[in-house]
Order: sequence, then structure tokens, then C-alpha cells
Amino acid sequence: MKSRQLAGYLFASPWITILLAFWLFPLLYSLVLGFTDYRLMKPTFDWVGFDNYIRLFSDQGFLTALKNTFIFVLGTIPITTAISLVFALLLNRNFPGRTIFRSGYFMPSITSLVVIALIFSNLYSRDGYLYLLADMLGISPPENGFLLSNRTSLAAIMAMDIWMSVGYYMLLFLAGLKSIPEELYEAAEVAGASARRKFFSITLPLLKPVLLFIIVINTIKSFQVFIEIFVMTRGRYGSSTAVYFIYETGLSRFEFGYASAAAYILFFIIAVFSVVQLGLLKQRGIQ
Amino acid sequence: MKILRYLLLIAILLVMVFPLFWMFRVSLLPTGSGLTPKDLIGPSITMSIYYDIATSGNMLKYFINSTVVGMIVTGGNILFCFMAGYAFSRFKFIGKNILFYSVILVLMIPAHILIIPLYLLMFHLGLYDTYAALILPFLVNPIGIFLIKQYIDTLPSSMEEAARIDGAGEFHILLRVVMPLCKPALAVLAIQVFLTNWNSFLFPFILTGSDSVRTLPVGLALYQGHQAIDWQHLMAGSALAVIPVLVIFLFFQRQIVSGITAGAIKQ
Repeated sequence: MKSRQLAGYLFASPWITILLAFWLFPLLYSLVLGFTDYRLMKPTFDWVGFDNYIRLFSDQGFLTALKNTFIFVLGTIPITTAISLVFALLLNRNFPGRTIFRSGYFMPSITSLVVIALIFSNLYSRDGYLYLLADMLGISPPENGFLLSNRTSLAAIMAMDIWMSVGYYMLLFLAGLKSIPEELYEAAEVAGASARRKFFSITLPLLKPVLLFIIVINTIKSFQVFIEIFVMTRGRYGSSTAVYFIYETGLSRFEFGYASAAAYILFFIIAVFSVVQLGLLKQRGIQ
Repeated sequence: MKILRYLLLIAILLVMVFPLFWMFRVSLLPTGSGLTPKDLIGPSITMSIYYDIATSGNMLKYFINSTVVGMIVTGGNILFCFMAGYAFSRFKFIGKNILFYSVILVLMIPAHILIIPLYLLMFHLGLYDTYAALILPFLVNPIGIFLIKQYIDTLPSSMEEAARIDGAGEFHILLRVVMPLCKPALAVLAIQVFLTNWNSFLFPFILTGSDSVRTLPVGLALYQGHQAIDWQHLMAGSALAVIPVLVIFLFFQRQIVSGITAGAIKQ
């Protein structure tokens, strides 16, 4: 019996090691850093208390980045969720070619985000495809392309994000739809329910757990938007976000303490959102 | 009605695949030709950019780095996630529940919080800008442990007991009895890990500083900084990053989909 205990620890030890070294230690390390003014030029851990936090809330760069992050989250999540649900409903019955459509819609989600961002940089640029398309449709695009304009850069990145992620959430919705028992629809049919009635009385309520799960993971992901900002605009033209601010402060100005404090503020915001949403998930999941 | 539905589905499909098509189209243009939208159906196609990439510059090096790192990380995850998943499923040990909750907790930790400390940690360990920095932290992952644990939970333990009575050691049982039974789950895990690692940008970006260890996504993202935007090279390099993914997707679609939905719906 003792040897089996030992074997358990032994088998779990690679995970325990990596958990401690690369997850928990960094997590605590940066919490401490946030209360110091540790910098490249001043590598001593001088305690400054909440100074970094106070400074952040009067830092225009941080506040703008935070505002943009909220715009990104609140702008993309409802649209992404709605579109992926519509895609899932369109593909949730058997018809010839169904797999081709499903694969095609999903494909952008497994492509590297860097690659997608590069392709869209081309499409959005002054002589890019989308630019000319917008021109043709009579929507006057900004002079230097969509990304080099304060008016459109963030929106253009958000549109790309929606395009890229709908396929992934569509798959989750499809799995959720598959778990709804067919008999419910048959019974509703016998009772003469309309398609709209069936959607609102059967499909949507039974999808609620999946729906909320999608919103939670998408929230955690969207609050951390960074790669597309880095690749497409380097945070310029009013497109900086919280993680971009953390990156810039920490790894290009090397103010490690200050950047760590910013990271913890974002962490706190994400935690609050997740807890509230998970609370909803539990409550609705049981019903 | 049916026709309308198909037209709608096809229109969406075109929107979804167009950017990837465009990437390939640009990469196949003859060098120096204009990149106007009418090139979409232009007749001229040449592989010259790909030849150029294969023989000069860093693109090939990035590709090899991505492949090497991806293989090692995938191998590590197969072994270590399997070991941990097996331990959580079958063994009783003090602190097991706390440890398993830590797996779920780690799943909820946003990556951004680790940017600064992981960079500093690697720097102090002398691992910054080495392969080790790209590999070590990612050798085992919480979703993988979760996936394997759930799978082993569904297997009967009679074969392990029989082997144990026959006097087989725990490592023998792990590798010779349980591992073969877990092949389907391990395949799902391997594909997920490889794809995620292949596409990953954030940590490879912050943990490397020179071209010698950079992976393909990092190399591509920083390429623009080097010279004026050279779309043809950039799109050809992008194609290099996408083609393996498309091939894997073509062959393992079912495993990819089941990996995504298993992780999501079970919670």
C-alpha cells in the first residue's frame, strides 16, 4: 500500500514540478514585484506599497488601454456568440456537404493567429482587398488603410477576431445541440409548435450551460487580446490594450514592478468577471 | 428554400476561406509583380518565393525550430500528462485532491499574468533565448491531464489488478498495460498539443531574443521590423506555418473536434 502511495506521487511529480516552478512561483513572484519598483536599471526589490497601483490609475496610457480592452470584450463577445450560434443552427441537420461547410467555417480557428493577423494586415492595407471592396461599396475607407487610422483600427481588429473565432464556438454549440434529445422536438411538433417556438422553448433553454460556458472562456480570452494588436498596429492608432500595455511597460521599457501591478489589475478584473459568470453558470445549469 | 439555404452556406464558406486563399495567391505571385485585387485570378503563378525561402534567409530556420520544439513538447505531454492523469485517476495519495484542484485552478489563470515573471525567471536561470525556455514550462499541461484522467476513469481496472497480482511493477503496468488502452485519448492529446504549440506566439515571443531559436510565428511577426513590408515573402512564410496545420486537420479532423468538445462540454 505504501509503495502505491509513492508511485502516485512519482507519476504526478512532473506536473508538481512544473506547477510549482512555472505557474505558482511566477504568480507569487509577480504579485510581490507589483509592490516594488524593480526595473532593469534598478534591480533591487524596494518596497513601494501601493504606489504602482495608484500611479496606474492616473496613467493615461493605461486607462486608454483598459478602455480599449473593454470595448474589445463588450464589442466582440455578443457578436461572436450570436454568429456562431447561427452557424451551428444552420449546420445542425444532415444534408449533403455538411462536413465541408463545418470544416471550412472552423478552419480559421486552427490557423495561427499571427498568420491571420498578417493576412488581414495585407487585406486592410491601402491597396488591400477589403479596402478596395469598401471603396466599391461606397463606404469611404480611411486614407492609409483601416489599420493606420484612429477611427477604424480597433474596429478592424475586432472584426478580424470575430471572423476568426466563430468557427470554434460553432463547434461547441454543435456539440451542445447534439445533446438535446430529439423526442423533445417530436413532442413539440405533435403539439403544433412553430419553429420559433421550438427555438425559444427548447433549444435556447437547453443550450444555456453551453452558452454561458462559451461566454466565460471567451471573456477570459478576450480580456487578454494582444497578439493581433502587436502584429497589426504595435499598439498605435488608438488600438493599445491592457496586455499590450503590460508588454510595452515590462518588456520594452523594462519597468517590471509597474508592469506586474498592471497585470494584477487585469487579473483581478478577469477574476471578477469569471466568478460572476460562473455563478450564473451554476445557477442556470441546475434549473 | 433549399437552394437559398445552400447559397447562404456557400457565401459564408467563401468569406471564411477567402483570406487563406489570398495568402496562397500572394505567395505564388511572380517576384515584383503588383498586388492589386485583380491578381486574384491572374494567370501567373510561380514557386520562386518558396525556392527563395528554402535556400536563403531565416524562414527555414524558424520552421525547423518550430518542428523540433513542437515534437519535444508533444512527446513530453504524451508521457507526463499520461502519468499525472493516471495518478489522479487510479492512485490514492495524501494531497491528491488539492493537487487535482490545482489543475483546474491553473486552467483559469490568464496567461498575461505570467509574462513578466516567466521572462525574469528564465533570465535568472540563464535559460532566456534557449530551446529549454520554449520547452520546459510546456512539457505538461492541465487540459491534457484532465483529458487523460477522464478517459482512464472510464476504463475498467481489472487488467491492472491482474498484472499487479502477477507481480508486475508500477512502471511496467503504466507503460505496457494502461498506455496501450489509452491510445485514442493520447492521439487526441498529441494533436491538440502539437497544434497549440505550433501556433503559439506569446511565450515563444517573450522568451527568445535571437533568430537562432525563434519559432515560425515569432519570426513572422517580427519580419516586418526587418525590412519594408515584403508581402510575398511574408505570405509564403505564413503558408509554411499553415500547411502542416491544414494537413493535420485533413487527416485528424475527428480527433481535433472531439478534443475541443470533450474539454468543453464535460465541465
